[in-house]
Amino acid sequence: MPEDKDPIIFSSYESKRGLFDEVFNEDGSVKSIYKTLFDLYGGHSVYDYENLNNKAKASFFNQGITFQVYDDEVAQEKIFPFDLFPRIIHPKEWDMIEKGAIQRSRALNLFLWDIYHDKKIIKDKVVPLDLLSSSENYLHQMMDLDPPGGIYNHISGTDIIKHSDGQYYVLEDNIRCPSGVSYVICNRTALKRALFGVFNHYQAHTVTNYAENLLQILETVKPRGVDNPNCVVITPGRFNSAYYEHSYLAKAMGVELVEGQDLYVENDFVYMKTINGRQKVDVIYRRIDDTFIDPLEFNPNSALGVPGLFAAYKKGNVSLANAPGTGVADDKAIYTYMPEIIKYYLKENPILNNVRTYKCSKSDELKYVLENIDKLVIKPVDEAGGYGISIGNQLTKKEIEKVREVIKEHPRKYIAQPILSLSVHPTYIEEENSFEQRHIDLRTFTLLGKDKEFVLKGGLTRVALKKGNLIVNSSQGGGSKDTWVLKNES
Amino acid sequence: MGFKKRIVTMLARVANNLFWMGRYIERSEHLARYLNVNYFSSLDAPHELSQSRQFMLRSMLFMVGDPMNDARHELDEENVLFDTSLNQEKFYSVISNVKAARENANGTRDLISTGLYEAINRFYHYVLNYDVNFFVKKGLYDFTVHVMEQTAVLRGKIRGSLLHDEVYAIIMLGINIERATQVIRIINAKYHDAEMATGSYSNQVAHSFEWTTLLKCIESYDMMRRFYRKTPTSLSTLEFLILNSDCPRSVMNSLNQICKHVSVLKKTKSSSKDSTSFLVGKLRAEIEFTRVEAIECDVNGFIQQILERLVEISQKMEKEFFTY
Repeated sequence: MPEDKDPIIFSSYESKRGLFDEVFNEDGSVKSIYKTLFDLYGGHSVYDYENLNNKAKASFFNQGITFQVYDDEVAQEKIFPFDLFPRIIHPKEWDMIEKGAIQRSRALNLFLWDIYHDKKIIKDKVVPLDLLSSSENYLHQMMDLDPPGGIYNHISGTDIIKHSDGQYYVLEDNIRCPSGVSYVICNRTALKRALFGVFNHYQAHTVTNYAENLLQILETVKPRGVDNPNCVVITPGRFNSAYYEHSYLAKAMGVELVEGQDLYVENDFVYMKTINGRQKVDVIYRRIDDTFIDPLEFNPNSALGVPGLFAAYKKGNVSLANAPGTGVADDKAIYTYMPEIIKYYLKENPILNNVRTYKCSKSDELKYVLENIDKLVIKPVDEAGGYGISIGNQLTKKEIEKVREVIKEHPRKYIAQPILSLSVHPTYIEEENSFEQRHIDLRTFTLLGKDKEFVLKGGLTRVALKKGNLIVNSSQGGGSKDTWVLKNES
Repeated sequence: MGFKKRIVTMLARVANNLFWMGRYIERSEHLARYLNVNYFSSLDAPHELSQSRQFMLRSMLFMVGDPMNDARHELDEENVLFDTSLNQEKFYSVISNVKAARENANGTRDLISTGLYEAINRFYHYVLNYDVNFFVKKGLYDFTVHVMEQTAVLRGKIRGSLLHDEVYAIIMLGINIERATQVIRIINAKYHDAEMATGSYSNQVAHSFEWTTLLKCIESYDMMRRFYRKTPTSLSTLEFLILNSDCPRSVMNSLNQICKHVSVLKKTKSSSKDSTSFLVGKLRAEIEFTRVEAIECDVNGFIQQILERLVEISQKMEKEFFTY
C-alpha cells in the first residue's frame, strides 16, 4: 500500500472544459466502463507507477521494438512511447467501427477496380475526372489489369477519432502500406507483463490472431493454378523504420522475410535465392512503396525492388498485396468523396462519419477557406505522416497570411476541415510524474481477401504526447496505448 | 491428415547473416578474455618484461591486428583499453563485434527464437550503455567478465532454443570457424610474446610463463593441468590446444564440429573436390595425423598455414552457400 506521503497517481489530474474525456464525466465521476480499471490503477503510488513504467520501457528495448530517428545524420534508436493506462472501447461502439471499416474497405476496393477499368463513376459524374488525372498516385500501368481475386486493398488502416460531440469520425483511409499493427500486439504483451492483474477484471478480445488472418487473406489471392502458395514479406531492409514490424509479421506468419536482392524474375515468374537453389514465390506482402517495387517499370534508380516484378504481376504469376496504384484512392481529395463512393457502389449509407471537408479546388469553397483559416485545419492533399498541416487557431496573424498565399498559389493541393477536437485520455507524463489529458485517435486494421474479411478487434490508439498537440504520428512525437475491445458490457 | 509441412529453406543472404552472427559472438568472447587474462596476469607476472604495462598493452594491440611496431612509442593504457573494448570507431573493438553480431541478428530475426534475439539485444544494450570513464579506470574486470558470460548465455540459447536444422548448422559453422581462427591467433600472439620475453635463449621459450597465460586466454588452463598433471610447456600446450580433440577449444575439436555441421548443408551426397566439406575434411585429416614435434619445429609457419586454410574454407562457404 502507498504511504501517506506518496501521492496517488490521479491526485493531480486536471480536466479541461470543452474536451471529451474518455474516462471521466464532466462532473469528474468515472465512466462506468472504466470504473473497475480506475479503482485498480488508483491504488498505485506515483513511485510504484514509475517503476512499472520503467520496466515496460526496458522490455521494449530488449525486444528490439524500436525505430530509427535521424538527427543530424546520426541514426538514433528509440522506443515508441507506450502508456500503461489502456483505452477501452465499448462493444456496441466497436460493432459500428468494425462494420464501418469493412464498408469503407469494400467501397474503396470497388472504386479502385472501376477507375482502373471502365471508370463508370467518372462517366456518371460522381467523382470529377481531374481528381484522377491530376493525381501522382494514379498508375496508368494498372489500367485493365485484373489483380488476383479482384482485390486491391488487402490491408487497410483507417484512422478514426472521437470528436467533442462524442461521435466517431474517419480522418483518413490508409491503403498503401499502413503500418503500426505490430505495436498493437507489443502493447498488449507489454501491458500483460507489467500489469497482468487487471486483465482478470475485463474480458477483452485478443489481438494476437492478426498474423494468422493475414496469412489466410494472402492465401485467398494466390495466383491461378497454384495449390499451396509460397507467401513472403518484402522489406526495404533492416534500416527501415518499420523493420521490426516486417520481421514480426514474417515470423508470426512463419513465412520468409525477403529483400529485393533476394528475389529475381525469370520468364515472368518470381523466385527467391535460397541455400538450396531457387524457390518460386507466389504471393508477396510488400512493404515497399509503389514507385520502388520494380526499377524496370517505375523508378529506375530503385535498388529496393525486383526488376521484372511488375511484368510477372501483369501476367498473373504473382500476387502483390496491396496492389500497386492504391495510393490514388486514399489521398485527401478522394477522401472528401467517400460518402458518395460508398453510396455509388454499395447502395448503402456510410456507417462511419466523414469530416466535412472544404475543397480548395472549388471556387466557392476556396473563398470560405480563405476567409476562415483561423477556424480550420489546412492539409496538403498528398502528404503522409502529419507533415505540412496548419492548424488555424494556433497560427499568428502573420502566419495565417502566409498560409493564405500558399493556398492561393496551388488551390488543388489543399483541403480544409473544421478544427476537430480529438477526445482525450489520461496519459502518464514522465516529466511531470502524473497523469494528464492527452489527445488520442485510433487506427484500425482491416483485411480484405477473396470472400473473406477481417477487422482486428483492437487497433492502435495513438497519443499526442505534447500538451495540446493534435498530431499523433510517431514521427511527430506520438505514443500509444493498449486498446481493449470488450466482449460484453461487463 | 497430418500437418501441411512447408518446404524448409533459407535465403542465401540470411544464411550469410547467421554465419557472421555466430562469428562475431565468438570473436567478442575471445577478445574480452584476452584483454582480461593478459591484464590481470601481467600484474604479478614473474618476468620483468611480462610484468611491464607496455609489454601487455602491445600484446593487446598485436592480438586485435593493430600492432604498435615502434618500440620507442609509449602507449597510453586508457587509450588502448578504450580502443580494444568500447571504441566504436575501431572495427576490432568488443563493442564493434557485439554491434555487428546484433546487426546480423536483426537480419535474421524472423528465423531465430525470440529468446535468442532478446538475449543478443540485451547484450548489445549492456555494451552500448557501459560507462567509458568507469571502464578505462576500473571497469575492465567487470566488463570483460560480463561479456564472456553473455556469450555463454547466447550459446546456450542457440543450442537450447533453435531447431537443430540448417539455421543451427550455419550458426555453429560460424562459431567454430571463428573459434579455430581465434585460438590460432591467440597462440600466435602469445608465442610472439614468449619469444620477446625470453630474448634469444630458445630453450627458455619452452618453459615460459606466457604458456600459462595462453591457456588461460583460451579458458583451458585447468583442464590442461588435469590432463597432463605437469606445468605447461610449449610442447604440451600446443599439443593440447591444437591436437587434442577432447579439448572443446582445440583446433581439432573445432574442425570436427565444422565437418559435422557442414554435412547438414551438403546438397549432394557425393563430395566434390571443389566443396567446403572436401576442404574441411582434408584439413582435419592432416591435423589429425600431425605430431606436435613437427609443429614445434616451425610454429610460425604452421600458424600461418592454418590461418590461410581457415580463410580458404570460409571463402569457399561463402561461395557455395551464401551467394546465388
